[in-house]
Amino acid sequence: MTWPIIVAVAAVLLAPLVGGLLRGLDRKITARLQGRIGPPVVQPFYDFGKLVGKSRVVSSKASMAWAWSYFLLTLTAFTLFFMGQDLLVVFLILAFAGGSLAFGALSARSPYARFGANRELLQILACEPILLLAAVAVYFQTGKFTVCSILEANQPLLPYLPLVFVAVLIVLGIKMRKSPFDIAASEHAHQELVRGVYTEYSGRFLALMELTHWYKIVLLLAFIALFWAQPLWVGVLIALGAYFLELWLDNIAARLRWSWMLGVSWSLGVGFVVVNLVLLSVVV
Amino acid sequence: MSGEQLITLLIFLPAVVALGGLVLKGAAAQRVVFVPAMVALMVAAAALALQVLPREALTFTPPVGWENVVAVLKYALIAYFLYVGITARNGLVLGLAGFLAVLLPVVQFGVLGGHVAVEPVFYADVLAVIMCLVISVVGGLIVVYATDYMPAHEAHFKLAEPVRTRQPQFFFWFVLFLGAMNGLVLANSLPWLFFFWEVTTLCCYQLIRHDLTDEARGNALRALWMNLIGSVAMVVGIGLAYNSAGTLSIQDLISGGSAPLVLLPLALFCLTGFTKAAQVPFQSWLLGAMVAPTPVSALLHSSTMVKAGVYLVLRLAPGYADTSLSLLVALFGAFVFMVTSLLAIGQSISKRVLAYSTIASLGLIVCCAGINTELALAAGIALIIFHAVSKGMLFMAVGVVEQQIGSRDIEDMDGLVARMPLLTVAAVIGMLSMLFLPFGVAFAKWAAIGAAGALAGGYIAVVAFLAIGSAAALVFWSKWLGRMLGEVPVVADEKKPVSAYGSVLLLVVGAVGLSIFVAPLVAALIQPALSTMGYSQAFDVSGWHLRTAIGVFPPWALFLAVTAAVLLPALFARGYRGDLDPVYLCGVNVNGGSVQFTGMAGKPVLVTAGGAYWKQWFGESRLTPASNWIAVLLLVALFAGVVLR
Amino acid sequence: MGFLARARVKSPWILHYCTGGCNGCDIEILACLTPLYDVERFGILNIGNPKHADILMITGPVNWRSRHVLRNLYEQTPDPKVVIAIGVCAATGGVFHNCYNVLGGVDKVVPVDVYVRGCAARPEAIIDGVVMALQKLEAKKSGGVSYAAGAR
Repeated sequence: MTWPIIVAVAAVLLAPLVGGLLRGLDRKITARLQGRIGPPVVQPFYDFGKLVGKSRVVSSKASMAWAWSYFLLTLTAFTLFFMGQDLLVVFLILAFAGGSLAFGALSARSPYARFGANRELLQILACEPILLLAAVAVYFQTGKFTVCSILEANQPLLPYLPLVFVAVLIVLGIKMRKSPFDIAASEHAHQELVRGVYTEYSGRFLALMELTHWYKIVLLLAFIALFWAQPLWVGVLIALGAYFLELWLDNIAARLRWSWMLGVSWSLGVGFVVVNLVLLSVVV
Repeated sequence: MSGEQLITLLIFLPAVVALGGLVLKGAAAQRVVFVPAMVALMVAAAALALQVLPREALTFTPPVGWENVVAVLKYALIAYFLYVGITARNGLVLGLAGFLAVLLPVVQFGVLGGHVAVEPVFYADVLAVIMCLVISVVGGLIVVYATDYMPAHEAHFKLAEPVRTRQPQFFFWFVLFLGAMNGLVLANSLPWLFFFWEVTTLCCYQLIRHDLTDEARGNALRALWMNLIGSVAMVVGIGLAYNSAGTLSIQDLISGGSAPLVLLPLALFCLTGFTKAAQVPFQSWLLGAMVAPTPVSALLHSSTMVKAGVYLVLRLAPGYADTSLSLLVALFGAFVFMVTSLLAIGQSISKRVLAYSTIASLGLIVCCAGINTELALAAGIALIIFHAVSKGMLFMAVGVVEQQIGSRDIEDMDGLVARMPLLTVAAVIGMLSMLFLPFGVAFAKWAAIGAAGALAGGYIAVVAFLAIGSAAALVFWSKWLGRMLGEVPVVADEKKPVSAYGSVLLLVVGAVGLSIFVAPLVAALIQPALSTMGYSQAFDVSGWHLRTAIGVFPPWALFLAVTAAVLLPALFARGYRGDLDPVYLCGVNVNGGSVQFTGMAGKPVLVTAGGAYWKQWFGESRLTPASNWIAVLLLVALFAGVVLR
Repeated sequence: MGFLARARVKSPWILHYCTGGCNGCDIEILACLTPLYDVERFGILNIGNPKHADILMITGPVNWRSRHVLRNLYEQTPDPKVVIAIGVCAATGGVFHNCYNVLGGVDKVVPVDVYVRGCAARPEAIIDGVVMALQKLEAKKSGGVSYAAGAR
């Protein structure tokens, strides 16, 4: 019982570092892809520090509360994941966190934030089925829904769940807020609906949003790494590869409409997982 | 009191109180009678639970004379339905009731050969007791709520013409409903079950048409003929069951193993359950039922009527375990869950959203019955409890809102938290309890997905439906919830009628409390219910964690985390005394505020942001026809699978 | 210099608003983002929301209709913040000087910290202005410069 707690605490402490560095690499690489030099790799930490130091601007009390809920619920899901708990529970709590973000944005009387919130809900509608089904796929391979069971299995998941992996990549793109799925708010600073769900958050609340985002990215990448957990370092490389694949996609794709996102994630995403599961139960 | 007396009391007390209600006028008199009566009903249900729990099941067979009474009343009911069909000139009601009037004697005298003694008539096992508790507690609280609601409702409706009050009739059918439901869940004899079933149909019909508007009459007739389809299926099922199995006892039917010949009547009973539970394609009667006063909706949706449908499907689950019928029931339920959750996204009328969400939850329960493992059935029973509490509470809350702001449109509930803080916070908790994890309903979803995932094969489609449906449920609840929390510049103006608020708040406390203590609940009620139904134990509840063979759900640990994550920030934000800054409006805020922006020609324009309903994707005109057809196909497949095997 | 203080000058996010000029300076501001000048090197981001901004880059002579917008944007930007007036229009009204519909300069509405000259201002000058603004931002936070009440 002590090991999971140590792992979880270490993960909670390290995740902001990893998440921030990944975001820094993202901005650097994106700049290079665009023929620019780009900011230093530690730029996200500068941004974070600056935001913390700004004065407080609040447009709704409920928004403040939900911002913290968003962070704490994501942290709960994150901790549960690294303690090796039930994947379905992790994803359902993560959905609660996503809901809190939308509630926070809906609470402000800002048309832009509300637009963003509705789009955030659509993103959840696109991601959630795939994540739940991915957990079921993990069960198909390991006989349990827990994260532990993946680590204890004696063969990697990826050879058996390749289509599930592709579906999870779609989710990664949506959760990373990368084109063509940056619909509720872009990970970048620019966005056509001002800044979507983030519009009414500023200063330390925006910093909190950023921190939560890092946790979420690390959580998803850790889930992707589990697709090759024997040995785990291969999985980590695969997760990094997935991350850079998303960066590349971000730079070559435009933002598309939400209906397209929903269509892709339901037809390709859910479809891929179902086909994979059917094949698995027929072949094995 | 003995178990026999308690069973009698649970059925007769509401009937007697209902008759007494006919002479009561005025809220004070009603409260004096109904509140103690409902408390007595709850106590009786609890006492029955205490009697049943130590010994699995309790049986009771009333004297034979009662069989004749019930038989006569059955024909009287059908005669009344015929009368309704003739006076309302409704061909469907007339046709179905006429068919039933022919069918019933044919079955009774042709197939059954007159009277068939069923031993026992009442069978109170843990599942029935759970249902009794739900009916008595949630239903009782709704009755108390109605004593506040109905005077205001009549005052609102009869402004123009002073008409004689119809409250006595209302409360008669309303309270009688509870007795019929108690009888329905306790009955083991199929003829008795059919009788109580018809009484609930009658009560439902009378309550929907209570306001006597053209719309109310029309919708009541629709509810009647759709439920009569179920009645016909049930009578045919009774005949077939006796023909093939030679028994009219539910327990004998389902414990006799899944003999192929018994499957067809079981499938017919499932169809009966689907009509009562308003599953697609029969959903329109429940959607139409919202013309009735809100307590009726609360009652129909939470503890009575529709719950009878899923109860029957769940009760029969052991009878069709490991058959194709089971898979198709699961597929059907999961499909209904998905499609009605998606339909709810496109609705802006609050009661309609609630109605679709009810149908979705019932679909999930049906699906659980179809998955038919101990984990799934535990999820189904848990869902019956949690859904009744949360949904009853939400309907009552919406009723209060409707009376105070004069609208049931979600768009008009913008920033309701500023106008009616107490009720809105209660409603928000109720909504959270319907969709997010540490709460009971989501726990049931977690268990259902786990159980379906564990079965592979055709259940892969079931899991996919469940996954999409639960994501859709998250969207439609969240949209509404967020809308009520919006920051609006109004002052609180909340009237707090005691009975109405008391019932709502009690159920909120119930929803949260039951969710926190879900592990003891599972250990004390749900696991015993499973074992009397012949299933093994689904959970290891040591340490109040719910551990299954395939996953783990730690309720209280999650509650600690979620309370810290949601409640603490909310309390801190409540204590925030700083200024609120205006929202970003492209810099054209009028006087630097959030209320208006400068529009064309310098005119101030009110800031509004309508909700999103995406009707082009989730509208009824887009989804309903196709989903009806698919549901019909699934039902055809269900029967084809049973007949052709 | 502590991390927070260092972060402040390393991450200036810019809100850019044109108060009614010819858009020449706006084009030059956007040119700063292109690979040739690449101001993201310094952590500078062009952001569309005053609530996220540290530096207000204002162009144009400020006409009567845009002055309220400018005021609102300024007030919605959380402290510490600096205002850069880009181009001669933003400084004095430029070619619009004495026009009936302009106020003639950003400092007629909000306090300006840095003036960047030019018609249009060159990207190099704009970047130089940002660097000066950052020094002022740091000074403001450490109490060296008090917020000017500003002409309204």
